[in-house]
Amino acid sequence: MREAIANRVKEAFPEISAEISVDERRIVTVRGECRSWEELVEVGHYIAHMEEVKNVVNEMTVAGMEIPHKDYTAFREAGEKKGVIDRKDVVIIGAGVSGCGIARELSKYNLSVVVVEMSDDVCTGASKANNGNIHPGHAAKPGTLKAKLNVLGNRMYDRWAEELNFRLDRCGAMGAICDPKMMSALEQAYQVAVANGVDGVELTDGPRALELVPELREYDGEIIASIWLPSMGLVEPYEVVVALAENAAKNGVSFRFNTTVADILTEDGQVKGVVTSEGIIEADYVINCAGVYADEMSAMAGDKSYTIHGRKGTIAILDKNRKPEFASLSSVLTGAEVQSSSRKNKESKGGGMCRTPEWNILLGPSATEVPDKEDNTTTPEDLDYAMATNSNDAAGYSDIIRIFAGVRPADYTEDFIIEMSPVTHGFINVGGIQSPGLAAAPAIAQMVEGILIDDCKERRIPVEKKKDFDPVNPKKVEFRHMTREEQDALIQKDPRYGRIICRCESITEGEILDAIHSPVTPGSIDAIKRRTRAGMGRCQGGFCQPRVLEILARELGKDKTEICQKDGDSRILYDSNRHVTPGGRER
Amino acid sequence: MKKIRTDIAVIGGGPAGMAAALEAKRQGAGDVMIIERDVEPGGILQQCIHDGFGLHRFKKRMAGTEYAQVFIDEIEQTDIKVLTDTMVLEVTQEKTIYACNSRDGMLEIDAKAVILSMGCRERTASQVLLYGYRPAGVLTAGTVQRYINLEGYLPGTSAVILGSGDIGLIMARRMTLEHIEVKGVYEVMPNPGGLTRNIVQCLDDYHIPLHLSTSVTKIHGKKRIEGVTVAKLDENRKVIPGTEEYISCDLLVLAVGLIPENELSIQAGIELDPRTKGPVLDNRFMTSVPGIFAAGNVAVVFDLVDYVSQSGEIAARGAVDYINGKPMEELSYEETVPAGNINFIVPQRIVRGETADTTLFMRVKKPDKKVAMDCEENGTVIATKRYPFVAPPEMISCTVTVSGSGPLKVEMKEGSGNA
Repeated sequence: MREAIANRVKEAFPEISAEISVDERRIVTVRGECRSWEELVEVGHYIAHMEEVKNVVNEMTVAGMEIPHKDYTAFREAGEKKGVIDRKDVVIIGAGVSGCGIARELSKYNLSVVVVEMSDDVCTGASKANNGNIHPGHAAKPGTLKAKLNVLGNRMYDRWAEELNFRLDRCGAMGAICDPKMMSALEQAYQVAVANGVDGVELTDGPRALELVPELREYDGEIIASIWLPSMGLVEPYEVVVALAENAAKNGVSFRFNTTVADILTEDGQVKGVVTSEGIIEADYVINCAGVYADEMSAMAGDKSYTIHGRKGTIAILDKNRKPEFASLSSVLTGAEVQSSSRKNKESKGGGMCRTPEWNILLGPSATEVPDKEDNTTTPEDLDYAMATNSNDAAGYSDIIRIFAGVRPADYTEDFIIEMSPVTHGFINVGGIQSPGLAAAPAIAQMVEGILIDDCKERRIPVEKKKDFDPVNPKKVEFRHMTREEQDALIQKDPRYGRIICRCESITEGEILDAIHSPVTPGSIDAIKRRTRAGMGRCQGGFCQPRVLEILARELGKDKTEICQKDGDSRILYDSNRHVTPGGRER
Repeated sequence: MKKIRTDIAVIGGGPAGMAAALEAKRQGAGDVMIIERDVEPGGILQQCIHDGFGLHRFKKRMAGTEYAQVFIDEIEQTDIKVLTDTMVLEVTQEKTIYACNSRDGMLEIDAKAVILSMGCRERTASQVLLYGYRPAGVLTAGTVQRYINLEGYLPGTSAVILGSGDIGLIMARRMTLEHIEVKGVYEVMPNPGGLTRNIVQCLDDYHIPLHLSTSVTKIHGKKRIEGVTVAKLDENRKVIPGTEEYISCDLLVLAVGLIPENELSIQAGIELDPRTKGPVLDNRFMTSVPGIFAAGNVAVVFDLVDYVSQSGEIAARGAVDYINGKPMEELSYEETVPAGNINFIVPQRIVRGETADTTLFMRVKKPDKKVAMDCEENGTVIATKRYPFVAPPEMISCTVTVSGSGPLKVEMKEGSGNA
């Protein structure tokens, strides 16, 4: 098998001398030197797509390029010095949608669970920087774990939204056609959707398409057919993750932020805990939801079985004054989107034009392979790619209020890896959770719950459901969505809702205080933004940042110079050597 | 919901709003109310502790706060009601205002006339397409000014300023005085964006370099900004390869332009001018919705506060005339037409068939010297003005008597060359 793979790689990439090894699990490790990062990624995909290969560990290098690797030494040494600080049944690494979803699922049981997160808050990685689409599951390759969990997860979202009280907009999606030549492609898409079990998918004629998406009547050409995906949904992703984390915390899960996992403790093939930058946490189970670092965590647990390559996606958000053309995510397919030569990435075309549940037009994401897993820089090329998905003639670059990028944690099979490690018992991998990871999250959480609870039973660890588990989050006050009468009544009851802090999004002081005094305390300006939308509008915090900063300092009993924008040393203010009175600060 | 009736409601208690309210009172208006979102009136002047305000109006150099105080004091002598800490959420075509605060809850204010004076906001990093990371330490000049002047904190120790608009220049000096090292001011355009006097007094006097046709092309630093890449731009504003330079800094100050804050106007269905990004105004500074007027930076970004106050007074006289029953519904208009080097004119139109003293506020497209400007109504030159020097950052204001007999063309022909 090794030889056959090596020969095929040599044939496909004659310029590269790749060294191939295969283990008994059919995991291929490839070493050697490539000429570019893109080529390195291509070799990884090429091998992973061979039928007999389970996954690829890509240890190739690139000529003349220093590939950034995270050095955990200092974190590990600091943690070992501090010794054992906690003992839990379950440690979850990473507070993204997977980690928080699983934490909330496990909080139903009499298990002690801690989520450790390297950043200062939940939802700071790939879970944050995406388009918030709850994909129907029509795009995934039939037969993959991704396809299965996507469709299942999508179906489970209504319950999540209802229990956790976040906004889910089942807007539906349509791909319509005017050109009969596009018919076979449309039918093919329909067959894939049916094969994946997508809920409610419909292949329609023209009149039915116009009935479902009336806005298409404005289109110049005659719509002759369409694929309709009623289960397409939209969420604000950070709303989902914050809600999951808050509910988990309410049900007993603890969170440790600014805590980097630097090693996994194992003994005789059994996981024993984690060494973090803040000390050692002993545990019977470690669940690896570390996003772009999941492969490194798995390797620390002695299970080097996949490699994550970061795929950067850049997104542009437009001003709300520019209205989306469609309530649903609908477009007329011309075939150009498939043939587009600007499509750089064979594995992912990225996303298109859509909108947020708050009705901002959202363009992108792009899809660019990056060697640095934390490279969330925006570039003109990526922005142009995202903007090219814009089909609204009235909207353009001048409507942009925010450009951001995130890094998707992709493995080389481009599927999810969810399993109990066959090497280190008790270590559960939840790796490669890229798109549609947000849509699949409820199903991922359920699957991991199954793996863990079954294992507990097998190992005769007594585990039972808690009687006092409360699946419901109270509905949050959203001043902006209330009628004037409701707003008035709210302020009469609690005057703090009468002070608008973020003028662009109409966010009140009361809402910011609600966020600060919630089960998972936010400590930074960005953490407040994710919970309340303060700073998310067209002025991007120019008006509200000083006000939010003041409230944070006051409520957390800190000096203003201690308040950060996000994690790490991201302080906003330094001390002045000047006395300012009155109205300003006094000393 | 508390309901209030008033003759004139002024939205925003900055220099435009305060001047408007006072002028309305002088003209005999009954109930006049200012709705201000901050805890006290004054608007952005509250953080403008530098001097240079009031040269035209008071014939002396005043600090922004000092200039504002003159109006605040005068308002205190009147029965003008100032609702502070109150945010306006909506204005309707029927001139009903919804505003809220902690004391009253939601207020429904029915006004006979409304004067919009919400000012403007600053353009942001995303709006000028700044690429790279999104760390702490990238702030607009106005926010930096607030932190330093109002709150007494410093937002950095070494700064790069992008944009040579007036606030950027003022902050270059201000930060230098606060021992923040200002490494340079970078301007995308080949000409400075701010007033000449500010270039001299804020940059030259402090030996701060101004780099024209240069932009920040990348922001470095994942958590706190660590530096920027700057690069020279060609005449098409494209980066000239090989001119990139890394400059370390822990603060990037953006002074990249102001946008009139017209979200309330858009909600009310008021027509906007794509050039000024403010409402289309007539010579009473009335918007396309009868009874709703606009003044100050919400109408067009002015350079001098003196003009802002003046515009407030024009709008106030219009509003008082309106509530006194001067017919202003379904008026017909003649356009004002910029020609030659004139870029835009506010007001955009004048009332047909009505003789009135009309103040025009204009900006030129490019710098020039020794120029003449003709105001031509319906083909007849009604006024000619000469200027030794014109430049886009310096607004031109002139008052002419129009008869509304036809389009008002204002043309500035080429002078003796680039200034």
